Amino acid sequence: MIRTLTGLIIVLALGAVAASVIPEMQMRSELQGVGYSYASRGMDETGSSNLVTAVIVAYRGLDTLGEVVVLFCASTAVVLILTLFPIGVRASEPSRIVAFTAKVLPAPIMLFGVYFIAHSHLSPGGGFPGGTVIASAFLLVMLGSSSVPDRNGRLPAIESLAGLTFGLLGFWGVLTAGQFLNNTFLGTGTPGTIVSGGLIPLISIAIGAKVASEFSGVFKAFRNTRGEA
Amino acid sequence: MSTAFYWSIAGTAAGLVLVGLWGVLTRKNILRIALAFTVADTGANLLLVWSGYLPGRTAPIIDGSIPASDITSSVVDPLPQAMVLTSIVIGVAVAALFVVVGVLASRRTGSADVRRMKELRW
Repeated sequence: MIRTLTGLIIVLALGAVAASVIPEMQMRSELQGVGYSYASRGMDETGSSNLVTAVIVAYRGLDTLGEVVVLFCASTAVVLILTLFPIGVRASEPSRIVAFTAKVLPAPIMLFGVYFIAHSHLSPGGGFPGGTVIASAFLLVMLGSSSVPDRNGRLPAIESLAGLTFGLLGFWGVLTAGQFLNNTFLGTGTPGTIVSGGLIPLISIAIGAKVASEFSGVFKAFRNTRGEA
Repeated sequence: MSTAFYWSIAGTAAGLVLVGLWGVLTRKNILRIALAFTVADTGANLLLVWSGYLPGRTAPIIDGSIPASDITSSVVDPLPQAMVLTSIVIGVAVAALFVVVGVLASRRTGSADVRRMKELRW
């Protein structure tokens, strides 16, 4: 009762704040500040047609490197906890529908994920969503089988290699252009073509491989009855 | 996009945050609390994307449909969208950690009821 009442009071108070603040956020009609700079110069400076990817990978590449580190810490913590304290859920035999779907769908899903990553500078997509799509294909494979995934070091190896690639690509910019994560020293190409955007496609591939292997590792840790990573 | 629709998205976003907060404050099952947390997360992300919207404009992807000479007056703000992408990924990471710790805690006490998890209570 007290719990409900306290919750109601806090939610109503926050709702009152939101109702008074949000109407003050007027609908703008023009781009301002950095948003304007990104829109006006983004394609010329980075060679990327997708301005969101240009912001994530080129202009705020250091933020993205930090984000990758946060994701790495979280997935490491999840796998570590599940390894030390296995949940011990026994994987049941999948139904025929799930088993059949798990045979047919993973390949197209993975292809779509690769397309997402490779075209991150041209169309909606990028390393993070593409990597998640690929990991979902692995999840489907695991759901379609009642056996426990093998324990091997391949996923952590791919993950480490992808993270290292991201960092080394950044340092490559230090050597050639005197700037960490410089995007343009390879040339930016013609915007709209697959080989364009400077470092953006390479970094997207590294992020995609890292996210895919990280999430696959997390799914595997959840799936593993003995909790071995 | 009509003005009513524009404001209804802001209302939906604020509503999702409030519903999520309500769930976190009043639910007792720790997995439901984790779920409510992700609902609030979604509302915050929606509000951020909404704040970057400009009337009558399209996605910040420059292809044949946008005049190359007039980019700044035909695309919405790319910055909030980039930040929301970061926020979504971090939200997933936090939710995964939340669920794992929640499962561990519920195994320790024998139930998912947060009222029986007394270790952190003051």
